[in-house]
Amino acid sequence: MSVQRERRPGELAFALILLIFSIVALWQAYGISGFKGLSTAGVFPMLAAAAMVLSGLFIIKDILFGRSSERKIPQSLEVDHKVLTVRLVTMIALVILYIATMPYLGFMVASAGFLFLSFAYLWRKNILISIALTGLTLSLIYGLFRILFQVVLPKGSLIQGLF
Amino acid sequence: MMEVFGNLSLSWFDPWLMFLTAMGTFAGIYVGAIPGLSVTMATSILISFTFKWPVNDALALIAGVFIGGVYGGSRTAILLNIPGAPSAIATAIEGYPMAKRGEAGEAIGLTTVMSVFGGFVGILALALFAPVISSFALQFNSRDYLLLGLIGILLVGSLSGESFSKGVFAGALGVLIGMVGLDPMTAEGRFTFGSIQMMGGIPYVAAMIGFFGVAEAFVQIHNLDLPAVKQKIDRIIPKFSDVKKYFGLAMRTSGIGTIIGALPGTGGDIAALLAYDHAKRSTKNPEVPFGEGAKEGLIAPEAANNAAVGGSFIPMLTLGIPGDAVTAVIIGALFIHGLKPGPLLLIDTPHLFWFLVGNLALANIFLLIFGLTGIRVFTKIVECPKAILIPLIIIFSAVGTYAIENNPTHISWMLVFGVVGYFMKTYGFQVGPVILGVILGPMMDANYRRAMIGARGDVGTFLWDFVSNPISLVLSVSFLFLLISQTPLWPKITPYFPSFKKKQADK
Repeated sequence: MSVQRERRPGELAFALILLIFSIVALWQAYGISGFKGLSTAGVFPMLAAAAMVLSGLFIIKDILFGRSSERKIPQSLEVDHKVLTVRLVTMIALVILYIATMPYLGFMVASAGFLFLSFAYLWRKNILISIALTGLTLSLIYGLFRILFQVVLPKGSLIQGLF
Repeated sequence: MMEVFGNLSLSWFDPWLMFLTAMGTFAGIYVGAIPGLSVTMATSILISFTFKWPVNDALALIAGVFIGGVYGGSRTAILLNIPGAPSAIATAIEGYPMAKRGEAGEAIGLTTVMSVFGGFVGILALALFAPVISSFALQFNSRDYLLLGLIGILLVGSLSGESFSKGVFAGALGVLIGMVGLDPMTAEGRFTFGSIQMMGGIPYVAAMIGFFGVAEAFVQIHNLDLPAVKQKIDRIIPKFSDVKKYFGLAMRTSGIGTIIGALPGTGGDIAALLAYDHAKRSTKNPEVPFGEGAKEGLIAPEAANNAAVGGSFIPMLTLGIPGDAVTAVIIGALFIHGLKPGPLLLIDTPHLFWFLVGNLALANIFLLIFGLTGIRVFTKIVECPKAILIPLIIIFSAVGTYAIENNPTHISWMLVFGVVGYFMKTYGFQVGPVILGVILGPMMDANYRRAMIGARGDVGTFLWDFVSNPISLVLSVSFLFLLISQTPLWPKITPYFPSFKKKQADK
């Protein structure tokens, strides 16, 4: 069942990051209550972190020696080798911007900006279409969440009480 | 008895509950069908909007979405060769060739009828077996719950991931996330770094929405330019002769689906693949070869994945152990509504159990109605460009995460989990075990410590308890079997067992 598999870009780096994270987590878990007893608060976190370290080592071994067993079950429906494309990084940046500005602009304004920018960027149609689409989806979202589900939407500090 | 019947049919006579169930099922079909929108995503977002509703209303909507969503994946699998959900992968193998021959309508009709059939088998099993398992589960000890949790995470990790170590890693990461915050037993801080925000723990709704909603949206950015394919649709109501002919197969695969669904940690996707495999082995002379549009290969996975819905409710409601990612999310919903899934649920709130059973059945009937109608409109909506869909998913996710506690930092958590989830998905990790770990982690921790305290902190007594009680022994053996069968030790052990040797020689 073992088949040589092409390594995905950045796979080893990601596995190493996971391993380092697990080791730090194990060290932090040890810090909770050390080895003072077997039913203390820190035991289970230590066991979980230890399982992460151990499986992390196996993952790295599999990557380095290419003995990753190919499963019959198709995993991701989109097997491609793109990991960090410009489009993805831009979108993540847009989401960060959206989340960072929401406390100031309020949900409605921040969402309008985010929707417009991402429609314009991802769809690349006429600006007017993007604006119209933003307006349409925003009123749909407002109707659905604020009126139907009665969810409280984050308000901004910039335009007090309005949005 | 009258009371049971009253609760069972509650949503059948209440117009508002009926409407919510219908809406849920309808929406579920579309959510399940649109690639990039998953049932898990929809349920986790819905939970945050419905947590203020009365519990019956919320459950009616969520049950509908679940039933509709599991089925919906088959539509796009048949029409566009894109499985809307992992449980529809096998459906695409046979359904799309049928659509190419101009038999898309027939394929959809047949899958609908068989999905509904499978659904009823699963619900029947839930109604019959849950009370039995529940009373049996009252004898379970804390160590048994610990073992059940471990088995659940191991099963979902080993069966659905690219490799076993990745499954274990994902599950353990989930457990770790679930540990963050103040320890409920001693109020010691765990991974809090002195921050008050962290003492409250990591909100699991943010983790769910991040891993299933935002991460999936990021994955879909790579698929922006997939072309849409148009299909001719004519006959939708399937031939009665076909339904009669495949009844036996549908019955068998529904059974497979129910059992797989009922195992903790395995859900519709694995049920569908196993059922497809069964159909392939058991059909001697198919009219059309498998892979080129065999109806047997279409019916088997669809009956199985809908049967798995009822099945997956069994461990969730009776043991408090979710059967798969969606039920892990639904268990979260039950917690939010103040309910405690577990053996006492059927004793404390039997009305709720029977209401759920009746509601699932109602959703199944709506599935038959919506499944056989409105397919032309459907093809139009599913072609909705990803460029519109992706920003919308992100906004829905943000609102959903915020809505639970009106806390803006939760949205940042959601983004962190979304980015981590994206990389995990890209590198062949499954995010299902993470959520299972988050939900089950605190439960396992508490039960581990109770068992350890029961053994007075003595490792020998603690371990002896695992083999000295019949229930614990069975669970321990299954746990060890699961663990060892996935490690390199396995091929070294199997030669000692002649039956395994024969099986391997056959291969």
